[in-house]
Amino acid sequence: MKLRLTAALGAFALCVSLAAPSAPVSASDDTIVFGSPVSLTGNLTKEGHLTQEGYDLWKNYVNAHGGIKVGGKTYKVEIKYYDDESKNDTSAQLAERLIDQDHVNFLLGPYGSGTSFTVAQIAERKKIPMVEGNGAAEKIFNQGFKYTFGVLSPAKRYLEGILDMARSEKPPAQTVAITAASDAFSQEVAAGAAAYATAHGMKVVYSNKYPDTATDVSSIISALKQTNPDVILNAGHLQDALLVQKGLKEQNVQAKAYGYSVGPDTPDFANSLGKDANDVFGGAQWSDAVKYHGSPGFYRSAREYAKAIDSTYHHRADYHNAESSAACLAFQYAIERAGSLDPAKVRDALAKLDVTTFYGILKFDSRGLNVYKPMVVNQIQNGRLTTVWPQFTADGKPKYPTPPWGQR
Amino acid sequence: MHLIAQDLVNGILAGGILAVVALGFSLVWGIMNIINLAHGAFIMLGAYTTYQLFTSFHVDPFLSLPVSFVLLFALGYLIQRFIMNWVARAPVLTTFLLTFGLSLLIVNIALNVWTGDTRGVTTAYSGANFTLGDVTVPWAKLFTLLAALAITGVMQLWLTRSRTGRAIRATSMDIGAAQLSGVRVTEIYAIVFGLGAGLAGVAGTLISLSYALNPSMGDLFLVKAFVVCVLGGLGSVPGALVGGLVYGIVEAFATQIDVTVGGQHISGSGLQDAIALVVLLIVLIVRPTGIMGKATA
Amino acid sequence: MNPATLKRIGLGGITGNPIAFAVVLALMALLLAIPLTHNGYIELVFRNILMYAAMAYGWNLIGGYTGYVSFGNVAFFGIGAYCSAILATHGVDNLLLYVLLAMAVSAVFAAIVGFPVLRLKGHYFAIATLGVALAVTDIIANLDALGGTGGLALHQVDEAHFSIYYYAMWLVALGSMLGTYFIARSKLGYAFVAIRENEDAAAVLGISATRYKIVAWTIGAMMAGAAGAVFAPANGFIDPSITFAIDSNVFPIAMTILGGIGTVAGPFIGALLLAGANELLQRFFVKAHTLFFGAMIVLIVLLLPRGLVWLFGLRGGARAWLKSLSVYKA
Repeated sequence: MKLRLTAALGAFALCVSLAAPSAPVSASDDTIVFGSPVSLTGNLTKEGHLTQEGYDLWKNYVNAHGGIKVGGKTYKVEIKYYDDESKNDTSAQLAERLIDQDHVNFLLGPYGSGTSFTVAQIAERKKIPMVEGNGAAEKIFNQGFKYTFGVLSPAKRYLEGILDMARSEKPPAQTVAITAASDAFSQEVAAGAAAYATAHGMKVVYSNKYPDTATDVSSIISALKQTNPDVILNAGHLQDALLVQKGLKEQNVQAKAYGYSVGPDTPDFANSLGKDANDVFGGAQWSDAVKYHGSPGFYRSAREYAKAIDSTYHHRADYHNAESSAACLAFQYAIERAGSLDPAKVRDALAKLDVTTFYGILKFDSRGLNVYKPMVVNQIQNGRLTTVWPQFTADGKPKYPTPPWGQR
Repeated sequence: MHLIAQDLVNGILAGGILAVVALGFSLVWGIMNIINLAHGAFIMLGAYTTYQLFTSFHVDPFLSLPVSFVLLFALGYLIQRFIMNWVARAPVLTTFLLTFGLSLLIVNIALNVWTGDTRGVTTAYSGANFTLGDVTVPWAKLFTLLAALAITGVMQLWLTRSRTGRAIRATSMDIGAAQLSGVRVTEIYAIVFGLGAGLAGVAGTLISLSYALNPSMGDLFLVKAFVVCVLGGLGSVPGALVGGLVYGIVEAFATQIDVTVGGQHISGSGLQDAIALVVLLIVLIVRPTGIMGKATA
Repeated sequence: MNPATLKRIGLGGITGNPIAFAVVLALMALLLAIPLTHNGYIELVFRNILMYAAMAYGWNLIGGYTGYVSFGNVAFFGIGAYCSAILATHGVDNLLLYVLLAMAVSAVFAAIVGFPVLRLKGHYFAIATLGVALAVTDIIANLDALGGTGGLALHQVDEAHFSIYYYAMWLVALGSMLGTYFIARSKLGYAFVAIRENEDAAAVLGISATRYKIVAWTIGAMMAGAAGAVFAPANGFIDPSITFAIDSNVFPIAMTILGGIGTVAGPFIGALLLAGANELLQRFFVKAHTLFFGAMIVLIVLLLPRGLVWLFGLRGGARAWLKSLSVYKA
């Protein structure tokens, strides 16, 4: 009987504790609270951490310099995180929790296009603005959402710079092969690259996709090798970028340029591959070589920002860091301009935002996407990431064509 | 024509790894009736063992094979002895759930130890290859295949010839009878579970040569282990090998399907899992206990 | 195990312990009030518990009562969700129609797949069902018409009427629970259990195993399909990674086992426990929650190998419980 009672009471107690009201994150009324579901476990843990670093660096800077001024009053900044386990659905649920339970003022985006899309849905329904810096799929911005803003250039642009670069070198590249993971973001990247190549007189000789759970891509590489392309492009993520790069060497596939949408910019790429990572190109939202003169309120140049990341987190500033900090910056300027914490007013200020930062211009088109900022191309040269394109920001010349395997 | 030969080679090389991935899983399931969801976590630990030895002490991945095996064997043995043994007689799903919990536990401990960074084992010879006619063969993958064949052979010999091996097979056929003839079942169970984990460790080592490491890598291989072990026949050593090779070859050839029907692009490589699974279903409908399975389940 | 044995070991007959069932019904009645008293997020937490409960009931019929362990029930949930999405993209905006279509399509799909798959025994059946689920996932992910990996967005009712999804999910869960209760008590239930205990003997008694297995499998599919049909518009967006998630496959099985397999109260109690604990852990341990979640499952399995419902029927207090644990030790 006792056990029976305990079990029944336990079930009720669990219900009650689930339904119990919880206190808001910040009790004081001079703090602006941001909420973000990020990937702290699961397969995007690494990228989730980089995102969090970018957010925290901004938060520490703002709090150390007084805070954000809103209509004559200064507010400190707080960020509430939850772990979305790298799952699209969990991310959206956590966003609801941040809004309904923790009463955050604004949302900062999760990592990834899939998660950003589901969270955008919640932001829209609850009318809480979200600025995200880690979901580049245009699908997010084609739904007519009014409360979601992305500081990054759209997915289709990721590989354009590499194509531009390869076209202008001697001998100019004429044929392209594209492999892509099956997820929505990578598919947009691949379609964008194929359309751009065709529009600029290049020929797409091979194009195929593989499941994003692939553990072996050697047969795709065999088929690709037969077409003997000048440029090999991959639209995917770090894990499959490594798989493709290894596979290309294993089958001795020689091209004039190798380009990746995601991969080479993360130190893990060069750390994992050693010399085999050399001379690979990567499309990037930002690099520490870009030469913008930012507005006051935060680190004003890419160099200063990179130094701050290095001294705080002891690694080279990654574009995931920068785009995440940039998302925070968009909020900072918009809140100051709105002179209010009212979600609708901040949303309107975001829509009108036009400001230059260390990261580049922050300005949104009618869909909420930052189409005004160019992308850069990095190349791993002797184990070091060097910005090689566009020429006016480059801190090195592209190494082209790529020397044969074994001589890199 | 040359693509067909190349795909066959790709498929066989990939299949060799899958065979080892499935072998330990198949033995534990077939002999002990435990569906070990922690198998993927064990694979991950094997891969990290190799990574750690390689980066800290410059041990060649192939030389770390025995280390992975012994470490993971010990871990598996202890888990069976001190945790799983408590519910050894409970229905199969109870242990299934237990290993699900263990898997979450191990993966998240690994996440704290090694962080979520992606890591790779790149040796001086990785990517090195030779050509045979028109077909390119990477050395590392060839040696991986040879290691897989050797491991399968040794396992088969050990299970059929050694005293312990025979005791294991007797236990799997009839626990009661085995116990009566003096087999210590708890000990045998611990050995088999250790063996399953040890083989997962070996698979992890072999995988680390071609696939980058992160703590959640094991799940992808766990799903393949499920399919491969049933394809070949549960609890059968040659079955795991045949299953792995069939799976690898089917996926390799599936990649070359590339047509567009009414605006819908049908990419065989995008559908490679579905194609392999349809093959599995057909095999099971024709042979309900797998390619090498015995007539009665 | 015949009904008498079930009763003796505390599982309380074919529907499980009646007190446990009464407790679950009382909890269900309480949950009806959640949208009136709580904010949208708490509503979401309990809507998820109800959703998992419905999926667990679906699995319990084939896995618990008939004893055929399926690893593929997530396929029906996903098919249900896509039925809603397809109707929604064609301008149909009626939740009842969503659910009815989802149940019909899930049932037809289950029956067609069931004929070859349910001929397989034990483990081979389990993997064949996993294969079906993975193949369906992969095919949908490659169909441009269904949005591929990019998924589909659905129109949602406005915030003021959002609780309609909660009440719909509540009805689906209640329907699955009462459905299980009445099926278990009918001839059907006894046929299922007879197949579980000894398929050959059941055949001798004139029970056509294949026919009953397909019935159990199909009814279970309809429960999961209905849950998926409500989930899709409530979530507003679906893609293959969401609707065919590994979690949605493993959780209902884990919930049924932790709650009490082959009982009417078990799936709901398991869903409440597992989804509830997951929620609380995530709230308080931002990073280590999965670690604790894993540890919790291990502990519960070791301490309650037959599930929580079994506590309700155990006579003799803590001592009897400790004693009973040694039963399962090798």
